[in-house]
Amino acid sequence: METAATTLDTSGLLCPLPVYKASLVLNKLDPGQVLELICTDPGSLADIPALVRQRGDRLVKAEEREHQQVFWIEKAAL
Amino acid sequence: MTTTTNRLSTDRNLRRYDDIRDLLPTRHDPTPLVRLRHGTPDTFLKLEWFSPFGSIKDRAAAYLLDGLAERGELDGKELVEATSGNTGIALAALAALAGVKLTVTIPDGVPEEKKTLLRMLGAEVWETPDDLCPVDHPKDGAIALARSLVNSAGGDRYVMPGQYDNPDNVRAHYETTGPEIWAQTEGRIRTFVAGFGTTGTITGVGRFLKEQDPTIRIVGVEPNPGHRLPGLKSFQEAKQPTILDWDVIDEVVRIDDETAYARTLRLYREEALIVGPSTGAVVAAIDRLDPNGVTVGISPDSGLKYLSYFADMLGDDGTPTI
Repeated sequence: METAATTLDTSGLLCPLPVYKASLVLNKLDPGQVLELICTDPGSLADIPALVRQRGDRLVKAEEREHQQVFWIEKAAL
Repeated sequence: MTTTTNRLSTDRNLRRYDDIRDLLPTRHDPTPLVRLRHGTPDTFLKLEWFSPFGSIKDRAAAYLLDGLAERGELDGKELVEATSGNTGIALAALAALAGVKLTVTIPDGVPEEKKTLLRMLGAEVWETPDDLCPVDHPKDGAIALARSLVNSAGGDRYVMPGQYDNPDNVRAHYETTGPEIWAQTEGRIRTFVAGFGTTGTITGVGRFLKEQDPTIRIVGVEPNPGHRLPGLKSFQEAKQPTILDWDVIDEVVRIDDETAYARTLRLYREEALIVGPSTGAVVAAIDRLDPNGVTVGISPDSGLKYLSYFADMLGDDGTPTI
């Protein structure tokens, strides 16, 4: 898997803050770059994949850790 | 030795003020009530844009901040509020004077003019789509985002005035707007019309007027879902504010965007009133009511914050046809 260009840790933040902040970071990435997104809000399990679909980006990988969900999101080409 | 000073303090008769906040409307210094020259007879608009920060939300913002300060909830905190612009502008102005930081969450359809004004006044602006949460959430992205800032880790540094839930919003209109209208119409008002937004205006004014005379008709104006009328809310898509009191509302008139903008244009060309589009919606609703004497509609703000919207509407109108 490609190395993440940037990591966003939203630990402690409740929906919709992780979605909002992830969108802002993804907007600033170049196409093909990967965001590593760390969430603790259980709602993120549904919200983040839905966000990725809505934006047309690609969910490279999702991993559940103890009290944490980690997503790797590749920004779509223009 | 004593010194005497001849300080030029506030004198309302001379329209000289110590502080911009002295210009906030009161029962003794109300915003103007102006008769419409065309349409339903005996119709007046209350021009809330004569308030110092440019809209009816000046009243609510002042009451919300005073309430927080009186309860000691503002001490050392930053403010965060969801707003379609006007409450944010009034809060930003008052927060600037109080030296308090303000973060505003705002729906992404709000015109650039409002967002720029907020940033000019020192607020941090978080713009968000209404359907921010992609899964299973009501269409109130800005409200959800403001709440999540307060409820998330580190959120204890924020306090949210909460205009949709805070009774101080209603009290502002019960104690100022309502009594002003009653006095300005010399108790002859028969119908009051205001848009549904936070519903502070219609609930506060409606409650006051019903206490004076329960037969006064109170009419709410609701836009269609997906509308482009900033400040108004369709309760078919947005959650009803907890401060809304249906007991003081007799009728609801639904107005679509096209009707509201067309009526706004007529207000400019027939009445020379430089109003925002929600005023057009209010007057379009008045057009549809059975006339029954003195009617007062709220004109929440001026048109200067919507010039980009109006330019879209006008197209080539007003340019030479060669």
